[in-house]
Amino acid sequence: MELFRSFHISGSALTAEKLRIDVIASNLANMQTTRTAAGGPYRRRTVVFEERLAQVQRSCRFRGEGVRVAAIVQDPNPPRLEHDPEHPDANEEGFVAYPNIDLAKEMTELITASRSYEAGTTAINTAKSLYLKALEIGRG
Amino acid sequence: MFWNDPLTGALIKSLDRASLQHKVTAQNIANLNTPGYKRSYIEFSEELNRAKLSLKRTNPRHLPAGGAQSEEPQVRVEGGTAMRTDGNNVDLDREMLDLVTNQLRYNILAQTVSDRLTKWRNIINVGRG
Repeated sequence: MELFRSFHISGSALTAEKLRIDVIASNLANMQTTRTAAGGPYRRRTVVFEERLAQVQRSCRFRGEGVRVAAIVQDPNPPRLEHDPEHPDANEEGFVAYPNIDLAKEMTELITASRSYEAGTTAINTAKSLYLKALEIGRG
Repeated sequence: MFWNDPLTGALIKSLDRASLQHKVTAQNIANLNTPGYKRSYIEFSEELNRAKLSLKRTNPRHLPAGGAQSEEPQVRVEGGTAMRTDGNNVDLDREMLDLVTNQLRYNILAQTVSDRLTKWRNIINVGRG
């Protein structure tokens, strides 16, 4: 829908950033998780963003339609090994494989995602004020 | 008349352009974290074309300046630069500034169109008592 496309563009950014925050929250929640359905410790997940373009060429020659999450990928880095023979998931040598999650890194990502979300809401508010101003044309 | 007044036409085209500018800025902000994304912008030269700044030609064999291209705003992609190591070149400060500047421009244009409408309405109502 051409009229409200700027809402869709910024809305897609909010959806994408929200999903990113969810994934970061999942990473933070599973910092000590040693058991998963797939076996082995939890693996850090990251989102991959991709520009979304309209399939058809629009009249105004601008094809942008926001952003979308192309995939949620697992971090290929090996888990962090900690010596703890008491742990039920310790291997023969007494090492426990914990997820390779860096708290500082996740918090930085969280701040970036949160600020990007704010930028998206600002763009939506601006679009709203533009449309409201357009409605005022001819009222005076 | 109001509907074929060249100034009103130019104002409405500028409103369209401001609306497009908002979409372009929103797209840039939406792709703030997309690796390899390059920012889009509206090419400035079309402004000159729209303003019909044609140069006087003293010889018909001189090339005409201005008005040669289409009047539609052209959205271009700014390649070749990078803000971050992932190749993304969106500068959030710049985009937020564009957003605010464009909002002010839109308000001014809408207000001017509105004022002109009011003027015509007043003229129509003259003598109705």
